[in-house]
Amino acid sequence: MSDEIDVELEQKVADYYKSIGINQGPGDIQYRLILKVLENNSDRITEFADIRKYTDQFADRGSIGSKIKTIFQLEGLVKKVKRGGYKVTDKGLMAASFLKSTTTFYKKVKRMSDIIERMP
Amino acid sequence: MMVSGLLLNITICFAITLSSFAFAWVLARSEPEHGDKSKPALWALVIFWTLVGFTYLPTTIRMIAAYTQNYGLDQMMYNLAAIPFAFVSVPLVYFIIYVIVGNKKVSGYVSFVFMIFGSAYLTFLYSNGVNSTVTEWASLFSVNSDIAISIYLMGLFVVPTAMILGLLLIILLQRVPKRLRYRTTLPLVAISFVFDFMLTDMITNIDIMQVFARLFVLIGTVQAFLAYFPPLTLQEKLGIQEYQFDFYEEDDETEHDIEDDIGDEGDDTNV
Repeated sequence: MSDEIDVELEQKVADYYKSIGINQGPGDIQYRLILKVLENNSDRITEFADIRKYTDQFADRGSIGSKIKTIFQLEGLVKKVKRGGYKVTDKGLMAASFLKSTTTFYKKVKRMSDIIERMP
Repeated sequence: MMVSGLLLNITICFAITLSSFAFAWVLARSEPEHGDKSKPALWALVIFWTLVGFTYLPTTIRMIAAYTQNYGLDQMMYNLAAIPFAFVSVPLVYFIIYVIVGNKKVSGYVSFVFMIFGSAYLTFLYSNGVNSTVTEWASLFSVNSDIAISIYLMGLFVVPTAMILGLLLIILLQRVPKRLRYRTTLPLVAISFVFDFMLTDMITNIDIMQVFARLFVLIGTVQAFLAYFPPLTLQEKLGIQEYQFDFYEEDDETEHDIEDDIGDEGDDTNV
């Protein structure tokens, strides 16, 4: 695994997108974490345990499994390579790069609103 | 001939004194409207405008002294005005650093550096003395110490001005609502106006230039006032009015109800 995932930041970003009406995708903490883990493991198989390490505080086991099935697998973001093992596809990596840009956007908006908030 | 020019100069100085004090007071009074996060910046601004006022109050007296040919008082008031003037960049730097970084400690340290600059400037100014000339438009002092002038140009003005421009750029490059943009950039423009023309005022040795610099300081003060309290006509022209909406309170209204209403009004084709 290349780098650790900042769950707290992801949560904040997801909350921000939720607050502007985007509940799915970028605004969904589970989606964000799953995709991040898949991206980090892009050169090997991702197992459920890898994802659960991060998502256990947000979700019960079933919801992660069904999310992978109904969103990631259905839309072709991952390929199931074995029982409980997934590998991210090129399309999935594209989605991950989009996710990164949502984080950048969040940071930009946050910095700006902080500046404006401090401006008397 | 000597009369008219100096009188105008006195009037402008007095107007700057009054308006900057008034603005500082109005800002200070608006404190409850501001959130906790913007309060440190607000107080920095209040101090800034107070210092501008305290620079121009002795300057007004100085011009009156020059007018009445009391040169001793003129010089004394020049030395007095130099004190608030030397520290005018301290609250300004605090303000900018605080707004950008958001850390009171960091902005405190940085503005302390500018306090040292200010003190160094005063030391060199007082130890080297000044030369005075009184003309029909103004009473001018030229500072004998080159070091004082360098400190003052580099430390006290160029750096803070660059900071203001940086902050302006940050805000202008972002897509923010027009009203917010007006509200955030105009005070900055006004401050840099006041700040830079104060510099021109203090170092120039051309009498007319002094009068004009002061005129622009006055314009800057008015501009700052307009930034915070834009008159309605200006708001309409710029399209930045703040509409007063009442919240439409009718509970239990769902999309369904609205659709029903529309259905009732029209014919029954969609039933």
